[in-house]
Amino acid sequence: MARRFVIVGASLTGATAAITLREEGADGTVTLIGAEHGPPYERPPLSKAYLRGEVPFDKALVRPAAFYAEHGIETMFGTRVTRIDSSARFVELEDHRRVEFDALLIATGGRNRRVSIPGGDLEGIYGLRTVQDADRIREEMVTGRRAVVVGMGFIGSEVAASLQQKGLNVVAIDPAKTPLFRVLGEAVGQTIADLHRAHGVRTIFEDTVAAFEGTRRVHAVVTRGGLRLECDFVVVGIGIEPALDMLDGSGIVLDNGVVVDEYCETNVSGVYAAGDVANHYHPIFNRRIRVEHWQNAIKQGAAAARNMRGKRIAYDEIHWFWSDQYDANLQYAGFHTKWEQLVVRGRLDSGSYLACYVNDGRVDAAVGLNRGKDVRRVMPLIKSRRAVDLELLRDESVDLRSLHASP
Amino acid sequence: MASEFVTAIKTSEIPAGGITAIDVRGTRVAVANIGGTYYAFDDACTHEQCSLAEEGELAGTTVTCTCHGSEFDVRTGKVLASPATLPLKVYPVQVAGDSLQIEV
Repeated sequence: MARRFVIVGASLTGATAAITLREEGADGTVTLIGAEHGPPYERPPLSKAYLRGEVPFDKALVRPAAFYAEHGIETMFGTRVTRIDSSARFVELEDHRRVEFDALLIATGGRNRRVSIPGGDLEGIYGLRTVQDADRIREEMVTGRRAVVVGMGFIGSEVAASLQQKGLNVVAIDPAKTPLFRVLGEAVGQTIADLHRAHGVRTIFEDTVAAFEGTRRVHAVVTRGGLRLECDFVVVGIGIEPALDMLDGSGIVLDNGVVVDEYCETNVSGVYAAGDVANHYHPIFNRRIRVEHWQNAIKQGAAAARNMRGKRIAYDEIHWFWSDQYDANLQYAGFHTKWEQLVVRGRLDSGSYLACYVNDGRVDAAVGLNRGKDVRRVMPLIKSRRAVDLELLRDESVDLRSLHASP
Repeated sequence: MASEFVTAIKTSEIPAGGITAIDVRGTRVAVANIGGTYYAFDDACTHEQCSLAEEGELAGTTVTCTCHGSEFDVRTGKVLASPATLPLKVYPVQVAGDSLQIEV
C-alpha cells in the first residue's frame, strides 16, 4: 500500500484527489504541489461570473485556504516541479529539493496554446487560464471599450459573451465557419453564432489574424482577409496544450497528454494522471479521450485517488460540461468526433433544442441549448451504447427516460 | 415573526415524481412529491439560482439541478454533488386533509 501520496498540480483535479484521499481514510502523507500561488480554485467562473465581477474569488476556491492543513494535506503552492523520476520515485522541485512518493498523481493540466503572430507580444493581448489572467482582463473591461476575441471555442465564446454583457463593443473572429465548429459542427455552431449576433457581437468567421498592430500596446487586429479591427485590447482563446515539460525523460508514455488506462494509471506502476492532462482509456467508448472540462477534473481526480489507494475502479464517467453564454445554458454529454446523423429534438432556430450525434443508430453524444433535463435524461442512453429508435428520439412527446428504461 | 405552518397548496396539485413551486409568505418554495411523501425546499438552487421546479430532476430523494448538475438531498438540503457548495434550505411540511402545510 502507498504511504506517501504526492500530487503534482494544485488545481481542481489535484485538490479533489487530495480531498478524496483524506475523506476516504488514506493512511500516510498527502502532499499537494502546485505552481500557482495560493489554494486551488475552480476555473469555470473565470470566463463568466468572476470575469463580470459578480462573484468574489473566494467562491471559486475548491476549499477554504485553511482546509488543507486542517485535514492533514501538506501543501506546496507556488512550487514548480521540474522533473519526475519514476524509477527512483521522487519529484524534483525547481530549488532541487526532492519529494519522494509511493503513489504519484500528475494533474498538471494545460497551458494556453500560443501562436506566433506578428505583434503578438504587444501589451493588451491576453490569454485566460488563471485568476491573474482574469484579473488583467477585468481591468480592461470598461463599458464602451472595444475588444477583439480571437478564437470562438468555449473560452472565447464565454469571454465574448461576458464582455458584451458588460457593455463593451466586441468583435469575435474564428477560422471556422461557426463558433464551436470543431466539436459541435456547423448546424449547432450556427445557433451559437446567432446567439452572439443577437446580443450585438460582431462575428467574423473563416478568417484569421494576420497581425496585431500597435507601438507599445495593441490598437488594431489585421486579418488575412484584409480587415482591420481597431481595438483597445484582445483576448486570445485558441485552446490549451497539456502541460508535460517535467515529464521529459521520465519514461512515462506521452501521446496527446499523459497516457493512462481506465484506472488512471500510466505505464509506470504507481504513477497516475487525471484531469486536462490525462489521455485516458474510456471503457465505454473503447478509445482514449482527453477532456478539458470541470466535471472530468473532479470525477477523474476522485477516481485516480481511489486507484492510488489500491482500489481497482474503472473510470467510465460519461463526460459532461456546460457553457453559460448570456442567459443561454449550453450543455454537452458523451463523446463524438464525427456523426452520421444529427437528430434534433425541438428546432435549432428556436433557442431550445437537444441535438444528438448518432452513429450506427446509437447516440454517442448530445448537446442541448436550454435543455438541461433532456441532456441529463439522454446520458443513460449514451452510456448504454444501445441503438435507439431515432423517430422516438426526435419526438418531443416521448420522455427520453423511456428510451433506455425499456428492455 | 415566528414560523408557523401555512396551508400552501392542495396535495392533488403536486404530481407524483414532480416538483411544483409556490409562493409561501413571500418565499418561493418548491414542493416535491416522492411516492406520496412531500418535501419542501427553496426553489432557487444555491449555485446560480435556477428554479428547481423548472430545472430539477428527482431520483429517489435526490434532486438534481439540471442547469449545472448540483445535487441535493431533499430531506435535509445537504449538497450531494457540486458545483453547489451551500445547502438548500428545507422546510417542515404536514398534510392536513387535502392540503399541504409548510412551516415558514
